[in-house]
Amino acid sequence: MPVATEALALAPPLACYHCGELVPPGVDLRVVIGGTEQPMCCPGCRAVASLIAANGLDNFYRQRTAYSERPQYTEVDTADQFRVYDDARLADTFSSTDTEGLVHASLLLGGMTCAACTWLVEQSMAAIRGVTQALVSLQQARLDIQFDPDQCRLSDIFARLDSLGYRPRPFQTSAARQQSTAEHRTDLRRLAVAGLGMMQVGMFAIALHAGDIQGMEARYQALLRWVSLPVAAFVVYYCARPFFSSAWRHLRQGALVMDLPVALAIGLAFAASTWATFTGTGQVYFDSVVMFTFFLLLARFLERRVRQRQMFAWLDAESSLPGAVNMRRDERWVAVPRIQLRAGDTVLLKPGETVPVDAEVTWGNGAVQEDTFNGEHLPRSVASGDTVYAGTVNVGDALQARVLGDYCDSRLAALQLSVEVAQTKKPRLAQLADRMASWFVGRLLLVTSATAAIWLYLAPEKAFWITLSVLVISCPCALALATPAALTNAANALRARGVIVRGENALESLSKCTHLLLDKTGTLTEGALSIARVVPLEGMDREELLDAAAALQQFSNHPVSRAFASRTAARGFTQGEHRLGAGIEAQRAGVTYRTGSAEFCRELVPAFPDPPDEDLYWIGLCRGDTALAWIGLDDTVRPEAADVIAQARQLGLEVELLTGDSSTQALRLAASLAIETVHRNQTPQQKMARVQALQGTGAVVAMVGDGLNDAPVLSVADASFAVPGATDLARSQADFVISGGDLRKIIETLHKARHCRAVIRQNFTWALGYNICAIPLAAMGYVQPWAAAIGMSLSSLLVVANSLRLNR
Amino acid sequence: MDSLYLLIPIALVFCVIAIRLLLWAIGSGQYDDLDKEAWRILADDDASEASSSSEQGRRPPAAGDGP
Repeated sequence: MPVATEALALAPPLACYHCGELVPPGVDLRVVIGGTEQPMCCPGCRAVASLIAANGLDNFYRQRTAYSERPQYTEVDTADQFRVYDDARLADTFSSTDTEGLVHASLLLGGMTCAACTWLVEQSMAAIRGVTQALVSLQQARLDIQFDPDQCRLSDIFARLDSLGYRPRPFQTSAARQQSTAEHRTDLRRLAVAGLGMMQVGMFAIALHAGDIQGMEARYQALLRWVSLPVAAFVVYYCARPFFSSAWRHLRQGALVMDLPVALAIGLAFAASTWATFTGTGQVYFDSVVMFTFFLLLARFLERRVRQRQMFAWLDAESSLPGAVNMRRDERWVAVPRIQLRAGDTVLLKPGETVPVDAEVTWGNGAVQEDTFNGEHLPRSVASGDTVYAGTVNVGDALQARVLGDYCDSRLAALQLSVEVAQTKKPRLAQLADRMASWFVGRLLLVTSATAAIWLYLAPEKAFWITLSVLVISCPCALALATPAALTNAANALRARGVIVRGENALESLSKCTHLLLDKTGTLTEGALSIARVVPLEGMDREELLDAAAALQQFSNHPVSRAFASRTAARGFTQGEHRLGAGIEAQRAGVTYRTGSAEFCRELVPAFPDPPDEDLYWIGLCRGDTALAWIGLDDTVRPEAADVIAQARQLGLEVELLTGDSSTQALRLAASLAIETVHRNQTPQQKMARVQALQGTGAVVAMVGDGLNDAPVLSVADASFAVPGATDLARSQADFVISGGDLRKIIETLHKARHCRAVIRQNFTWALGYNICAIPLAAMGYVQPWAAAIGMSLSSLLVVANSLRLNR
Repeated sequence: MDSLYLLIPIALVFCVIAIRLLLWAIGSGQYDDLDKEAWRILADDDASEASSSSEQGRRPPAAGDGP
């Protein structure tokens, strides 16, 4: 497309100040923030940013650490749709009234990207009259708000959050959500107890080590051992339990995991130290046991925290449906909560609304955009008798429809179900750490038995203690830290670059991936139509033509009209009328203008020529009996797409295109990006099958996608990316979520993943090297407990320091 | 040195108290959102007032007077 490339060459791409996506060519939207004009990519971002600036909250932009999400922009007034939450029955499901008459409500917020969002939300909530308290939990994306129902209503709060670009929904406590909070608390408790225990035991241990060197009375040594014992016992019992249970669980299934040598080391060292305390002989290793437990818990806690920074996991397909619907009851339209709909009810679907349930159209002609299911951005025309599906958007006129069933029976629920099924089918690549563990445990047991045998022959009275010190010194602390330390640092580094790592082992899988599969609409392309070419038919210049077309498009909310949204429309057009499936007609100074399909224009101008080619989506423009122009629309390819694909290929990946789109555009796009394998017209199930087929041949597949229809395939791929603008369901399934609008981050992530794998290998090499040097010394009986403690800490520190290099 | 027999148990009692306190704080949800609290201390004072004030939130000093 010559026009698009030309415009790009002229103006260097600007990033939208609000959401970080590139400002499309031809868009010139600006908002003054903190005294400086900042570029905006779309009317949605502009609306949110102006609201933030107008309320004096522009501090938000200085404090935030991640770009905001690109808000949906609709011409329709959204405030109305929240009225339904004022209904007491619905409000009761997520709010309660206290004795002083204040209402407490919990809302789930979509679109929370960083801690500054909590500030912005808390600030703007406090500015609403009647709100007495607003607290946001970033980890749960949850707002707890307390307000006086006489001064403000729930719908005001919802509308305010919506206008700030967040997607508020009632917060429903779910089992998974409660479990995650409980797990977080348990982890913290274990960590806290292990930390305090480590300090106590460490204090006694220093006295004991000093006593070993300088000499100390036996009764004081016994005292220190006896007080260390209960503290260490509690730490082992309470904090180290997950290691024991995990090792045992895997052992029963015949799997040797990293937890096994960890549990062995902790258990044996503790048992031996207890024995030594009771008999007053040998050596105690309580400090090593407790320190080891603390280090490992800390590493795992940090690793999990990095991954849980953003919990999209509880966003499911159902939450994308509107909470309120207009239902026909007693000859009137009343707003009712969606969950109250029953089969047979009649609902009103207004233009621009998301269809709330699967329903059969009974009145009206309209069009629904079904990119949810097939990724196509041109809508399907529907008339009486046709079925519309929950989750699609009505882009035509208002429709009346008869409800076919509740959410569970809908096509959307089936999609969600296939996502859940796909999750269980995700192949689990053997982790490097666990393979290392099984290798290590075998060797360790061999060395230990050899040591015991030799010392039994040489000096039977020393054999027990020397064998034990071999086990303790080989304590695989550095080995167990090698993976979580590297993963945490890599994930942190990626987060600073705008990639959120969510999936477990996703970095490891990505470093081994052989195939890169891409979705088309919304992933390789911007996901919206834009003006690609203008062919004037009658002397008028390009700008004049486009302004006239923009004026006509104002009368429609068809996706095509969004391509013109950023233009200043010509004035003077009246009596605009949108004819479904045809085009738009309007009057200016008594002259009829039309824009739309060739047939529609030919009704006025019989000699309207054929569109210039088949490649673009063409709409005609005519005035009176004059043909004015053909305007070609296209879904713009993201400017960096070609670069990304070339680099992926250089890195040795096979690149494929998987798209739900059936048009030939996919083929042209693939040709222009030099992608050889293209699968068109794919249902979500077919996409999944393709990935599984590849996995069956031993390939490790990375998938990039954005839509609801990509969610199943994202969850089954070994590593998956959700691109900017992805739906909540897609985000919740992806291992990596890219914020800001740059596909090049896929390549960056890939590099980081490979680097991370290299660092993990180095860590293992070091940890094993340390063990190989230390074990013979221990086997010969040269290692004192203090030397063992220092050696262990040093080798662990080295592993952590090496992993820190990933942060750069 | 015999004071050790008294001092060490006292230290252990304090340790138990500290652990109990910490467990209580965790259980009451004070550590549920580590990200926000870490960030909040760096934010303007308004952030903490916002959650407690019942009146119109005071605006940040830097803004509000903009064009």
